[in-house]
Amino acid sequence: MGGKWEWMLFSMIIMGIHAIAILIFTRGFLLTRTELPYYSHCSDLPHSPCSFSPHPDPNPNPNPSCWTKPVVDRVLIVVLDALRFDFVAPSSSFPESKPWMDRLKVLQRMASREGSSAQIFKAIADPPTTSLQRLKGLTTGGLPTFIDVGHSFGAPAIVEDNLINQLVQNGKRVVMMGDDTWIQLFPQHFIKAYPYPSFNVKDLHTVDNGCIDHLLPSLYQEDWDVLIAHFLGLDHAGHIFGVNSIPMIEKLEQYDGILEKVIEVLRNKSGPGGLHENTLLLVMGDHGQTLNGDHGGGTAEEVETSIFAMNFKKPPHFSPSDFDTCELNLDESISISSIQQLDFAVTVSALLGIPFPFGSIGRVDPKLYALGTGTWSVEGTSVGHGKNQTKLEEWMQNYANILCINSWQVKRYIDVYSASSVIGFSSDDLLLVSNLYAQAEKNWSHISENWSLNKNENYNASLPVLSRQIDAYFDFLSSVADLARSKWTEFNIEMMSIGVGIMLISLFIHVFAMGRLNKKYGSYVPSSGDIGISFRFIFSCFVVVTRACSFLSNSYILEEGKVANFLLATTGIVKLRYAIMQNKMLSEAVVFILLISVLRFTIEVGLSKQAATSAFMNISPSWMLGFAPSHPLWIYTAEILPMLAMIILAYLLYKTIASGSIRGLWKYVIVGTTVSYMLILVHWASESNLLSPILMPRGIGRNNIPRLVYAIGFGQLLLLAFGQLFNEENTLDFKKRLVVKTVAMLSTCSSTVIILSGKQGSLIALAFVIGGYCIIRLENIEQDHKEGTAGNLNPLSVTQWSLLAVCLFFSTGHWCAFDGLRYGAAFIGFDEFILIRQAILLTIDTFGFSHFLPIFGLPFLAACQYLLGLSDQGKTSFVRLLSQMYMLYGLITATAVTATIICVTIQRRHLMVWGLFAPKFVFDVVGLILTDVLICLASLYYLGGMKDDKSKISHRKMNIK
Amino acid sequence: MMKEMEKKKKAHVKVNATTSTSTNTSKSIVPSASMAILIHLICGLGLVFGFLVAHNLYSINLVSHPSHTLRLIWVIESPIVILIYSFFRQNPEKCSYLKAITRGVMVLPAGALVNALGAIALGAPVGFQYLPKTINWSLLMSLFTFVPVASVFGASWTDWQRIFARTKPRRCLEYMICLPAHGAVIGAWLGAWPMPLDWERPWQEWPICVSYGAMAGYLVGMLASMGFVLVGGRWQHVKGE
Repeated sequence: MGGKWEWMLFSMIIMGIHAIAILIFTRGFLLTRTELPYYSHCSDLPHSPCSFSPHPDPNPNPNPSCWTKPVVDRVLIVVLDALRFDFVAPSSSFPESKPWMDRLKVLQRMASREGSSAQIFKAIADPPTTSLQRLKGLTTGGLPTFIDVGHSFGAPAIVEDNLINQLVQNGKRVVMMGDDTWIQLFPQHFIKAYPYPSFNVKDLHTVDNGCIDHLLPSLYQEDWDVLIAHFLGLDHAGHIFGVNSIPMIEKLEQYDGILEKVIEVLRNKSGPGGLHENTLLLVMGDHGQTLNGDHGGGTAEEVETSIFAMNFKKPPHFSPSDFDTCELNLDESISISSIQQLDFAVTVSALLGIPFPFGSIGRVDPKLYALGTGTWSVEGTSVGHGKNQTKLEEWMQNYANILCINSWQVKRYIDVYSASSVIGFSSDDLLLVSNLYAQAEKNWSHISENWSLNKNENYNASLPVLSRQIDAYFDFLSSVADLARSKWTEFNIEMMSIGVGIMLISLFIHVFAMGRLNKKYGSYVPSSGDIGISFRFIFSCFVVVTRACSFLSNSYILEEGKVANFLLATTGIVKLRYAIMQNKMLSEAVVFILLISVLRFTIEVGLSKQAATSAFMNISPSWMLGFAPSHPLWIYTAEILPMLAMIILAYLLYKTIASGSIRGLWKYVIVGTTVSYMLILVHWASESNLLSPILMPRGIGRNNIPRLVYAIGFGQLLLLAFGQLFNEENTLDFKKRLVVKTVAMLSTCSSTVIILSGKQGSLIALAFVIGGYCIIRLENIEQDHKEGTAGNLNPLSVTQWSLLAVCLFFSTGHWCAFDGLRYGAAFIGFDEFILIRQAILLTIDTFGFSHFLPIFGLPFLAACQYLLGLSDQGKTSFVRLLSQMYMLYGLITATAVTATIICVTIQRRHLMVWGLFAPKFVFDVVGLILTDVLICLASLYYLGGMKDDKSKISHRKMNIK
Repeated sequence: MMKEMEKKKKAHVKVNATTSTSTNTSKSIVPSASMAILIHLICGLGLVFGFLVAHNLYSINLVSHPSHTLRLIWVIESPIVILIYSFFRQNPEKCSYLKAITRGVMVLPAGALVNALGAIALGAPVGFQYLPKTINWSLLMSLFTFVPVASVFGASWTDWQRIFARTKPRRCLEYMICLPAHGAVIGAWLGAWPMPLDWERPWQEWPICVSYGAMAGYLVGMLASMGFVLVGGRWQHVKGE
């Protein structure tokens, strides 16, 4: 009795250790941030301590001012994707002049000629420097992490408060053209949008030409307040050709021409009363790129991009350079200062006079703001040199007030975030930040009081006071930004190493547990084999280790499905070799290899889908239509084949029932599955264009049939649990009973998994049955019966089983990325969205074929040799075998996951860390925990009701399916 | 049959003492150690010659014109292999030299088919633009693996089984066939690994690096078999005394 429970205890312990290790590692690696569903409103301002205005506006602005007074009326934002800093900055500021420098001449000319009304900024982005994350960062003013825990499920739409949302809320009209990522992020916000597909990296011109077509005409229109034109050419040229290439330089020169025209138009219209009298032009990159054209990581090349800002009004008569610590005077005429991308959202909000996005942690950048202020502070007053001092002071006062609002808003966000987020900031940090804020606030209220007391006093004395005040706010804002960066963009190496360490320890415990179990049962089994030296053991280790090592390179992770298939095919060929050697089961070996060849093609179709996600996602949930363009023959085949497979599966089940060995409860369970299969068939038929006119009007069964299938599955599970608890019939011999249980369990799971997987489901299920059957048949081919080693654990077969599971994951059209999830599956049978329900469905779809079915099907591997009469050992040795198999299966999975974790740690500064390694890590970790849980459940289910008796029970042959 | 591709390891498979097969081998011509080395040398030089012709005469190489180069190599190598190994055929009195050559020539495409199927199962790209490359590559692989066996042993199933499935060569000649064949297959298997890497080098294309791997493995296998023949020959000599 002890062994069984000891095994389960070990499984639980290992699951616990895995969970702890993963939790610790994740805390260090996967930076998460909670998205808050709060929004800033104009009416929030009275809650702030900053409503005080030192100068009641003499000429009230016609526009009702909100948080700040609007400074510019219109903003034209030209986003050049992957704009390196050295594309814009003059080459004289770099040690060496490169061919791609000084190509955007118009920007440099403007920056040098017009003094401070046009300026080039070096913009520092925060990693991850991928377009989506950067656009999110630019518009929310936050630091998007890899996983922003929020309410968006599937769609990448931004639900946090953001610049675009504020613009729309405050009646600004936003027009977008170019990269369709904006539409994904802001599906409802634009009054006009001209999106172009961005997924085809090889296409350098579609997006850009589309932009150009619409940009210039739009400049003459009055129907927008903010226009965003997103050009993709630089990014694509970089990805394909690299930075130092002819296409890149051509692109830059093309942009130079366009920008010249744009500036020309804007300037011509910028006279008093003109269309662009008060327009701000921003030409900016979302991130940089390396010389190879990669981006995503945090190297200087990738994070350094540029913002060019130009105001067509008169320049301000002073430079607020006093506050700017990072100014670099590189050139006689062009001064370049640094700005954080973080500050973009809040600065633009301040310029346009709209509330700052709720989650922004940036500060209003003095230089960029001053560029806009030129149009406002000088307004209506005579300009004289004598008044500059006053002007400056007025400006600073106003700026200090804006910073007050800015700080109040950031403080509010930090407080709300810490209160509502699961993983907030540490209390020490919060205290520090609060102190800084309290100090700055006290000063400010002091100053304000002074002002209100002596309104007409000379302000001269207050200049240093003001600049101290501004410094105090800067202190607060920069410490918040530092805190947020350390929280959201920096890895915690200590925790990561601890996680890796625990994971490694868990592997040792795993091996130790297996050895212990082996020893414990060893005495019962006469031929308890020395698996330590056999070839198949070494070969299995080789395969598992090879797979583990392959995770070190991003290329192999990208092609993981093919790698798994390659290794599976290799094991298949080794098995074939044995089959030839033994001169038996040749056909099984050949069928297995043929099956792998077929799987290989489905995996490739899945991978090609990965390359062009956005195109395929909308078209079809089924990969088959992917290569069935329009020819009717293809369509018919794609319709009929899955149904045929379904019928074959149902027939197999029917035969199993008809064989008579299954009785009572189990029989009803399996009959239930057959009914489910038929229902699925009807469901598909009703969905297909081919048969629906014949069978029934569309829509009747659309939601009801899947729900019925789920209900049947659930009922079957309940029945099985019931049978587990009460049905202690010992009439069946235990091995047969086990097989019956396995069949029942598998069939129960299969119907739900199949309907969720769409039409490919039945084909893949059939492939699983065939593949599993071949593995089982070939299990002991290496051995000679004479040696009597049957009944031992065969590591090679378990490895094959696990590799087959991996292949099935990829051949169902999944891959280890979040866009690899088949979101459509979550809505089969349901129209409305409920998080938990849909998440469960999605989990079943994602891991159904790769985790649920293989793990519940593993007992076949153990049972077959008994059923085939290869071994007549008693129940105890059988329990040993089964437990060892589960242990080994868990160990193989854990080894792969450990390798992933180690590789992720090593590659944490890799370009693709967010694009590839992190999603792979998440999928693997979820898969590992699921595997552990399923193994525990399976052991409970299969061995829970089994009594340990050592009586030999004669076995009968039985055909599994 | 489908043996081929019995990848890896000259494994220590526990032999089933069922090898009741051994035909009377005394009649066949047994190559001496020096002769064995000569044969390997000729085969190896044939490969080199193929490369030289491709490079100097046609100014093409494996990377720029994989399909043409492979064809050139197998066209040059196949007469060498078939003629040499047919000379050492089993039962020379029952089987004429010509018949052995015919066997070799016939097995060449058949073995290529098996090799191609194995490669496709392992993930070789399929498509019209790859078809000539795959065909020429698999013909070369067939030359490395099956053709010598066919020339020497003909259709003897047990001998094929012994050489490819059991990897139990017994004599000098069998070593000379078995080791390079296994070397070529293992080399090709290893040669496939750089293919998915994102280095974007032209040689990562199918079947260039696989061909390089196969040829390297073949050469290593020949070296190993030379070693075996030298050591084994001495050993047999001592044993004979």
